[in-house]
Parts: sequence; C-alpha cells; structure tokens
Amino acid sequence: MNGYAGKFLEVDLTKGTCSSFTIAEARLKKFIGGSSLAAALYLEKYNLHTDPLAPENPLMVMNGPMVGSGFPGTSRFAVTAKSPQTGIWGEAACGGNFGPELKRAGFDGIIITGQSKSPVILSVINGEAKISAAGNLWGKDIYEVTDICKAEDKGIKVLAIGPAGENLVKFAAIGNDKAHFIGRTGLGAVMGSKKLKAILVRGNQPPGKANEEKYKEIFKAAIAEIKDSAFAESLHLMGSDAAMDLGMMTGDVPIKNWTLGEDFELSSKLSGPTMRETYLTKAHACANCPVACKRVCAVKDGPYKTEEGPGPEYETCCTFGTMIMNYDLAAVIKANELCNRYGMDTISAGATIAMAMELYEKGIIDKKKADNLELTWGNMDTVFALLKKIAFREGFGSTLAEGSLKAATQLGAKAMDSAVHVKGLELPMHDPRGFHGMGLAYMMSNRGACHLQHAAMGMEQGMVSWPQLFEMKEDYDGKTSQGKAMLVFNSENYGILDNSLSICHYLLYCLKPETIRDAFNAITGFNFEFKDFLISGARDWTLKRGINNLLGVSAKDDVLPKKILTPLQEGAGAGSIPDMKLLRDEYYAIRGLTANGIVSEEKLLELGLPELRNKLYKK
Amino acid sequence: MTGYKGFTQEWMDAWKEKIAGSKEYKEIAKDWEGSVSITVNADPSKNVPEPVYMFTDYWHGDVRDFFICDAAKAQEAKFIMTGDYARWKQVAKKELDATKALMQGKLKLRGDLTYIVRNVKTINKVIDLLTEVNTIFPDEG
Repeated sequence: MNGYAGKFLEVDLTKGTCSSFTIAEARLKKFIGGSSLAAALYLEKYNLHTDPLAPENPLMVMNGPMVGSGFPGTSRFAVTAKSPQTGIWGEAACGGNFGPELKRAGFDGIIITGQSKSPVILSVINGEAKISAAGNLWGKDIYEVTDICKAEDKGIKVLAIGPAGENLVKFAAIGNDKAHFIGRTGLGAVMGSKKLKAILVRGNQPPGKANEEKYKEIFKAAIAEIKDSAFAESLHLMGSDAAMDLGMMTGDVPIKNWTLGEDFELSSKLSGPTMRETYLTKAHACANCPVACKRVCAVKDGPYKTEEGPGPEYETCCTFGTMIMNYDLAAVIKANELCNRYGMDTISAGATIAMAMELYEKGIIDKKKADNLELTWGNMDTVFALLKKIAFREGFGSTLAEGSLKAATQLGAKAMDSAVHVKGLELPMHDPRGFHGMGLAYMMSNRGACHLQHAAMGMEQGMVSWPQLFEMKEDYDGKTSQGKAMLVFNSENYGILDNSLSICHYLLYCLKPETIRDAFNAITGFNFEFKDFLISGARDWTLKRGINNLLGVSAKDDVLPKKILTPLQEGAGAGSIPDMKLLRDEYYAIRGLTANGIVSEEKLLELGLPELRNKLYKK
Repeated sequence: MTGYKGFTQEWMDAWKEKIAGSKEYKEIAKDWEGSVSITVNADPSKNVPEPVYMFTDYWHGDVRDFFICDAAKAQEAKFIMTGDYARWKQVAKKELDATKALMQGKLKLRGDLTYIVRNVKTINKVIDLLTEVNTIFPDEG
C-alpha cells in the first residue's frame, strides 16, 4: 500500500510482548490514519470504561499516509488515549522527525497497553521492537533522558516523559527530541502509568508513492505556494507568536485569567517581533518543512538564564505572560524550559497557575494553603516554584497537578468560576468574546477546548479563504454568533483532516486545498475528491463524538465557562459574548445531534459508522 | 459631502488630510518610520486601464509625501503593497480587512513583515482613515 508502511505494532507491557497486525486498505481509506484511525481501533478493540491510568487504556502513536513522504508539513503524528485530565477522548499531535522515522522503521502506528512492573523503554528499529529496562532513566527530566538515549546514535528519534509523567500529573506532556511536545490532554501521564519512560525509533525503509512523477510536480507547486504565502513568511520570521500584536488589537489575547480585554504593553513585550530581536538564536524546522516556524531561544544572562532550546509558542507567551501579568519575555522562556524539562503542557500548566493567582487575589486561597508562596500576579519566582511542585506533586502543587477543573473542585465552590475550561481542558489562548466561532469550536471540540481540531481560527480571523471547498466569507465579523455554526461545521470537516492525514495545521493554511488533495492522491493512489475529504472529516468528528457520548458526554458538557460569558470592559471584544444557545442549536441541527447532544442514528449510518450506532443505540 | 475620484491625486490629498488631522493616528504612529507604495493593478473592465502607483511616506506621526508616482518610484518605498483593483476597492470600502487580504494572498507585500506586525495598529488606522474618504470608484463614477 503506497504511503503506508503496512503494519501496526502492538505492545503489551504487562506481558512484555510485541506483535504486529495489518489493516485492510478499505478501512484505511475510510479512516485514513492518525487520530481518526486510532479512534476507530479504540472503539473496536478496547474497553472504553477503564480508568485512563489503568493498564488497559491503550496509548496509540499513529502516523498518517503522507508522513515520511517528504511533502511539506507531513512530519506530524498523533498520540491518543482516554485522557486522565478529562476522562474522555484524548489526543495530541506533534511534528519533528519522530513520525517519518517511525514510518521508516516499518510501522504506521504503535499501540501500547499493559503496565510494566518497573520502568522500561521501547525501541523500534527497522521493523524489530524490543522492550528493555529503563535503568537509571526514571527520575530524569526530558532533556536529560533524550540526551542519554541519543548518546550512541544521534539519528535515533525519542519520545520521552519527565517527572510530571512519572508522577501522573494530569496534564503531563510527552517530549519529542527535546524540541517538540505532545502537550494536551495529559498523555504523558498515560505513558507514566505504564512505566514507559521512552520510545526510540530508527529506520531506513522509506514508504512508496503511487505516482512518483505526479508527486514531484505537486511538490514543486507546494514549494512555490509556501514561498508566496505571507502567512508562511510571518511564521518563519516570528513563529506562532506573530499572532500576539494583531491578537491584542482584535481581542484575541486573554489577559489576567480572562478578566481584561487590552494591554498593549504586554503584547509589545511578549510578541514575535520582540522575541526575534532579543532571545531568538535560530529558527528550527520539522522534517521536510520549508517554513521553519519553531523558535530556538536562549536567555544568556540574568535571573532567567536558560540554555539554548525550544522557544515558547504564542500560547505559552500568553499562559506564562499575559494570563499571569508577566511582562518579561525572558521569564516566559524560563517557564517554557521548565515545563519542557518536567514534561508538562504549557497551556494547562500556565492556565492553572493563572487560576490559582486569581483565587489568591480573591482570598479564596491564602498563603498557608499555597505552601507559603506569594501567589501574586506576575510573581515568576512563585511560578517556577509551583512548576516544580506540580511536576513532583509536592504540597499545593499536587492540587494544581490535577488541572484547573479538578483543582477548583478541591478548592471549593467559590473557586469554580475561576476555572476556564471546556470538558476539563483549559481554553487555549484565543478569546471567544472577540471571535464567537471560536467559542463554538471550543464547546464542540472532542478533546475539550481546542483551537486545533478545526480551522475555525483561520477562517474566522481571515487567514484563509477556501471558496473551492464550501461557501464562506473572506471577512467575518468576529463579534457575532450569526452564521458561525456553519463556519465551525465546515472548519471541522476540513481542519480535522490534519489529524488523520497527519499534515501540519499551519501548512493547511499555507497550501491550496487542491495541492494537498493532489499530493495525498499521488502518495496513496486513493483518488479522493474534496467531498471525500469533507465526508472523512465529518466521520472523524462524529466517531469521536460518539465515543464521548458512550463515555457520558452530552449537551450538558457543551458549554462555555462563566468567564467567557462575562463581557469585557475594554479592548476589541468589549461588551460582546457568544450567544451559546444560538450557536449550539444551529450547530446541533447541522451536525445531526439530538437535542441532548447525542449523535443521531441516521447520521451514524449516513457516515458509515454502524458499529458505533450499535453500541450507542444498543442494537 | 465632496466625492473624490478614487486613486487620483485629489483623492490622495483628501486621504492625507484625514491622516494629518487625526490625533489618534499621531499617537499610534509615533514610532513609524518610512514609506509605503501602493500599486493598483490595471483592470480595463473596471475603468482602470493602466496600473496606478501611489507613494506615501510617514514619519513619527507626521505624513510626508503622498502622491501618484511611476513604477520606478513605487519600487523605492520601504514597503511595497500590490493588488488587483477589485481588492483595493474592497479594502477602501471596508469590505475586506487589509491584514486579512495580505494573509489570504489577495494583496502582496514586499518589505520587513516583522515591522508591519509590530506596527499593525498604524497600518489599520491609515486604512480606517481611508475608508472615511468619500470615494467615487472608477467603475462606479
């Protein structure tokens, strides 16, 4: 099969066994790969009702068919499991070089169940998998363990957890070659629960392409499109933090745990151009990507000195900057480094600390409760101390290690309004009061509040225009809920494909849909049209929603937090809040959900999901 | 209200007057240094038979040169913005945000993008003031 390696690796850490299996082409065509195929396997083969940290919860590392092809943006892979942070479907995607290397090692994915009695590493080298003792790696941070794993072979690619994953922090991340992170939904804790410290891959078997000549032609067109794209240029020059200046102007940037609407000093000090002028040492690219959006930074001296390493994304500049009223970019870089080393999602970690600072200001928690730390806004010494306490689950850190929702629940009813989440996952750093479509996208994203399981941001904020795919405006008014249900529906059906194709979200914005479609067809030989992509996206969303329905998700969970339903007094989003009822009612009708938010039987059959229908409707 | 034929010198003068008279602009643009040329691609079907080149220059909140120029002069600007007539018309009528047009590839920019991002408020204010000029568009007049 072109594009695919043709095999999936199955690892049982309880038994210490490794085996492989194949999937028929028709099924691959239906679910494509990545997190979409993972969801199909999860529904088919596993007990959904296990505890996320139980041995039975499968941790899947999944490629898509374009991974390893050399096409720009196809370095991505997905990691999935039932999330320990949310208790529902969990997934996160990542770039770098691990995905292509896994494909060259002979596998389209790895599914890990069980639990080792003692820490282990899994090595997958040219089709051979081996479980071995992790020796003295347990307890080491992600940078240290990665360096040790690469000591003998720098070309080996490493996924590893740090202390946060070992200590089952609910938003623990998985590090990928010290440069990329599988951050959201706490999948590092799932890895830690299995006592799996690292996964190493190495291979030299490139996947085939259905039509090499056609592919070369499309590849050239793709490179030309990227060179011509202002969006790609801004990412190359300023990384994702290019969004900070414009975002402050348009009402996108959350400030002081979502309570303020505007602070141009903050954005000026924390923006992409500022990072470029101060701490940026170079730009870094994922495999075969000409954009090179990743920042590499170093703070060479002062209290926030760091070694040269991955720099903060826009989201991190918010969670450890605007959200906690820290005006010092060097301190953001330091917090980012600590999260990377401990292995924690920077969005959840920063947002949970922002919540704690607000609770401290309101007197809901005091200094004694906070282990004698001054939880004042912008107090970065406290932030660094808290990050360590969270990673090692010490004192108050152990409360925060549960994430915003569970921590607020522990801290009492008065704390609940300060937790800004959907389905237990903290909101990413885009304010729905400036962009109502994003509010709906947060409400309906299957992993909890998410800005990447759809292309709503690109469409609503005007970064892209795809009239060839569906009817859409070139310029949306962010502060209206009218018409946004259709925008979000379409944006999910196309945008979610980056998770099954395993193509970078940013490249989805830089490349024409025709180019992506043609490249996909040249690699796989599948001959997809746009409608096939959109049906596939709808199937992906519906499958994951159905799984969540089986796990208890319904209309009661499709809600925005109180903060987002409270108007701001200043800034571009002032006075505006999403009309949650209108958005949800329209969306449910378009998506084929019942009034209680359950996928209708008709929709399940229409999208070719009879197994899910049987489970959901007990047929 | 007086109407000005779009993309002419008298129209540019009216635009310049709006900018020069804006206290808000003066404050927002206090750090801006440099010129921006605007090229409107020819569209004979819309009564724009030849490309129109405009040279605009700004300095620390003041407006300096603001004139119709030739292609060579347009190339001398610190920032060069180019687009089809229909797109510029949408921008001037506030139907399409200039930043969005840039990201969607409907307008092209040559120059230091980081400077533009840092000063996006200035750019938006200049465009906002343009939309206040009562314009008679070539295909509407």
